[in-house]
Amino acid sequence: MGNKDSKSKKQQQYQSLEKKYEAKRPVFKNCIKAFFVGGLFCLLGQAVSYFYIYFFNFTEQTSGNPTVATMVFFSMLLTGFGVYDHIGQFAGAGSAVPVTGFGNAVISAAIEHRTEGFVLGVGGNMFKLAGSVILFGVFSAFIVALIKTLLIKWGVI
Amino acid sequence: MRKCLILFIVMGTVLVGGCNNDGPKESGISLIKTTNPTPVTIGKDTKKDQELVRSVEKDIEDFDELYDVAVIKGKEDILVAYKVKHMQRFHMKRIEKDINKRLEDKYPEENFIVSSDYKIFLEAVELEENMKDSNYSQKEAEKKLQEIIKLKKELT
Repeated sequence: MGNKDSKSKKQQQYQSLEKKYEAKRPVFKNCIKAFFVGGLFCLLGQAVSYFYIYFFNFTEQTSGNPTVATMVFFSMLLTGFGVYDHIGQFAGAGSAVPVTGFGNAVISAAIEHRTEGFVLGVGGNMFKLAGSVILFGVFSAFIVALIKTLLIKWGVI
Repeated sequence: MRKCLILFIVMGTVLVGGCNNDGPKESGISLIKTTNPTPVTIGKDTKKDQELVRSVEKDIEDFDELYDVAVIKGKEDILVAYKVKHMQRFHMKRIEKDINKRLEDKYPEENFIVSSDYKIFLEAVELEENMKDSNYSQKEAEKKLQEIIKLKKELT
């Protein structure tokens, strides 16, 4: 890592030139798109959740788990059909941040590495990105549960 | 790809549509409509009991944060279900605590089960509807109430 300030004259010239020609990223527009598409996913999730409440024995509290599973399943199907790629291109973070992005990460990696065989290709690469999600999710849940248990033991909450 | 998408939508519609087998009932639309079910008692339907459930419902309705209250009195427990106004859902825990406190203070000898869960409300409305039918026995009603209470206590 070099010093940031010590740039030669040529580098500075290049930077100002680059700034002139580089296309500006429409950050605000992207945020709006992500907000609405992500919100649409959540709307669908709410509908699925009410579906479980109405037709099965789930309460608002317990319907979360099957809803998450269903949403991941939907996004897996959409990824397989090649629809989710287009949604991702349009919405960016709006399609990656909700839990549907998890299903997309699993299946897209599986499709990409199919040519390398089922064990080393699909099996080994399927959880390339999703594995870290699971790992850090489980670990942080463990830490939070530990803190909560201790706080309850000490009578703080 | 387009074909697959169409197939997916059609399949989804058929699968979801197949589940809708019961006709339009009050409980079915209670998600978007205020139902205000009448408070009911299972088992002995004495005047004292009726007055009790009515006054319980009135007490709960006095809270500004909520609307639509269902009260069902079983043999031992009284089930209280309510819907919380949308923006007040942030204070759901506090509201439940307040209600519990008020009920315990006012009726110390009764056993209350208080829930803001929509599923509990839905089941309570359904039970109240079923009890209008004279073929529905008191025993069945009590059993259903116990099932609802069990559902309320479930956490996962």
